[in-house]
Amino acid sequence: MAAALASKCSRVGRSFLGGLGNNLSGLLSASHELTCNTFLSQQQRTFIQMRTILKVVDNSGAKKVMCIQALKARKKGARLGDTIVASVKEAHPNGKVKKGKVVYGVVVRAAMQRGRCDGSEVKFDDNAVVLVDKQGQPIGTRVFGPVPHELRKKKHVKILSLAEHIA
Amino acid sequence: MRLEKCWFCSSTVYPGHGIQFVRNDAKIFRFCRSKCHKNFKMKRNPRKVKWTKAYRRLRGKDMTQDSTFEFERKRNRPERYDRNLTENTLKAIKKIDKVRVDREAKHHQKRMKKDKRPKINIDAQELKQSLNMVKAPDALRQDLLKKVQVQKQVDQTYAMEE
Repeated sequence: MAAALASKCSRVGRSFLGGLGNNLSGLLSASHELTCNTFLSQQQRTFIQMRTILKVVDNSGAKKVMCIQALKARKKGARLGDTIVASVKEAHPNGKVKKGKVVYGVVVRAAMQRGRCDGSEVKFDDNAVVLVDKQGQPIGTRVFGPVPHELRKKKHVKILSLAEHIA
Repeated sequence: MRLEKCWFCSSTVYPGHGIQFVRNDAKIFRFCRSKCHKNFKMKRNPRKVKWTKAYRRLRGKDMTQDSTFEFERKRNRPERYDRNLTENTLKAIKKIDKVRVDREAKHHQKRMKKDKRPKINIDAQELKQSLNMVKAPDALRQDLLKKVQVQKQVDQTYAMEE
């Protein structure tokens, strides 16, 4: 999937270069296909998949987790509101979870836009996750930052009640 | 259902259109189309982009204050459903729109109209108001203008050289 994405980026990049003129195409070689997208600081926002690093926004003790698996056996990856299995990569020294532990998490903010039932789309600034246990109850006691109300449909009501702002 | 305003161009975003971006400080930016969204990502300031309402209002090209804008203000209190009220509101919306459009047209006309005063009047007024830019104010005061007799001293050396 990453390879298909890279080729898509290169196709977009080459048409962009064609519009800009031939003088730029000499500067940007084929190996810089992905960096040409940063011309307008645009990124191809994708799913949360294996090896995606997410920020932890509760006070469970972890700081960064790396996704191991997107649950519900999705082919492409997890999106906003899905649960993932993750490995803790970075943690606070005295927290409930330690580095190297395998945990479950609920994606509360995703950079990829998610369609709402009224037809509009929402996107957030970063990828963030709230650690939960196998039953779906959050491990921490506080949640930071905005959360979407897509969580209500997925029955993560406890997270919504802890949130400081519901987008 | 709520009609929002695009953060960049201030046009209405109807349901089913546009993208909502939620920043981590919980500020929500709504965009009506990808043009506005892309400009936002480029970090452009809407007050400097000529086709946005923010620019036009700032430069006085469009109306800024009008009583018709009061009707559109956001109210957070939900109203109990009343069929008569709904009917009257719908009629009023149409009328208010017409009034607002007419007033905007008049504002535009006034802006485009040429100044009818003859040019000499305009120039005379400008001279009176802004003469201090050309001459120092003290130079015009009559009591300071004194006539002084200056003795002209003929230099003896020049007369000799000739």
